[in-house]
Amino acid sequence: MERIIFYILAAVIVTFSFLSVTSAKILRAAVYLFLVLIGIAGFYFMVGYHFLGAVQLTVYAGGIVVLIIFAILLTEQIDNRLARPKAGMVIASAMLALLGIGVSVYSILNHVFDKKIAGQLATVDDIGTKLLSFDAGGYVLPFELISILLLAAMIGAIVIAKRPIR
Amino acid sequence: MGLEAIIVFFIAGVIFVGGAMIASALLAPKSQNSQKEDPYECGIPTEGPTHVQFKVGYYLFAILFLVFDVEMVFLIPWAVVMKKVGGIAFVEALVFLVILGLGLLYAWKKKALEWE
Repeated sequence: MERIIFYILAAVIVTFSFLSVTSAKILRAAVYLFLVLIGIAGFYFMVGYHFLGAVQLTVYAGGIVVLIIFAILLTEQIDNRLARPKAGMVIASAMLALLGIGVSVYSILNHVFDKKIAGQLATVDDIGTKLLSFDAGGYVLPFELISILLLAAMIGAIVIAKRPIR
Repeated sequence: MGLEAIIVFFIAGVIFVGGAMIASALLAPKSQNSQKEDPYECGIPTEGPTHVQFKVGYYLFAILFLVFDVEMVFLIPWAVVMKKVGGIAFVEALVFLVILGLGLLYAWKKKALEWE
């Protein structure tokens, strides 16, 4: 049963990733990317990481894609179909993609999967406790640092967007 | 929730959407004429590209939304364990929120929240 879901999700992700990089219309590519991200969220739900799945849906599928679409609409070239890349570019990107696949496959094959760890699922409760913990292995400092990072992102965006047009 | 339920959901979704599209393609009356190809049934045909460049304000709103989206992601685990961890959790979240609140204040001051 799990296998069927896995193959459905894998098919969705592979199909739409392929469409996303091959589509000549940039807005369509963004929508295909949206479906890829939803498929990845499906994987998270499948393996039981519900919190991560929810984050994937709200932040990536909900936030990042909206941001990408707005960024595309800001440009003037929505209507233009993207030119076909040169053969040299295609070969170079194919080589890089193959290299990426090689590294991933190599590390997956060499990774010793610990069945004990695989059985334990982190609940939202565990995440929260760790996030607020001062003890060794606690994440309270990163938790507070994230707010500064978000503040920097917010101020940066406002400074760039509010710059007077020359 | 069982995985069977998800598979049934997938199949039902495909049948529901696909069925509706096939049914409307089969049942709907079709007509083809030159008026139908017009952008609207009134006005003059458009000239040149019809897409306008969006204002940067949309982008600003999107990125502010994203910042508070991420904030929510971190506050949900906090809210779940808040009672268990006690007062210290409250202070930690307060620091988090005050720093982000400064960002909101900055946006407010810089009139980033106003629509021009």
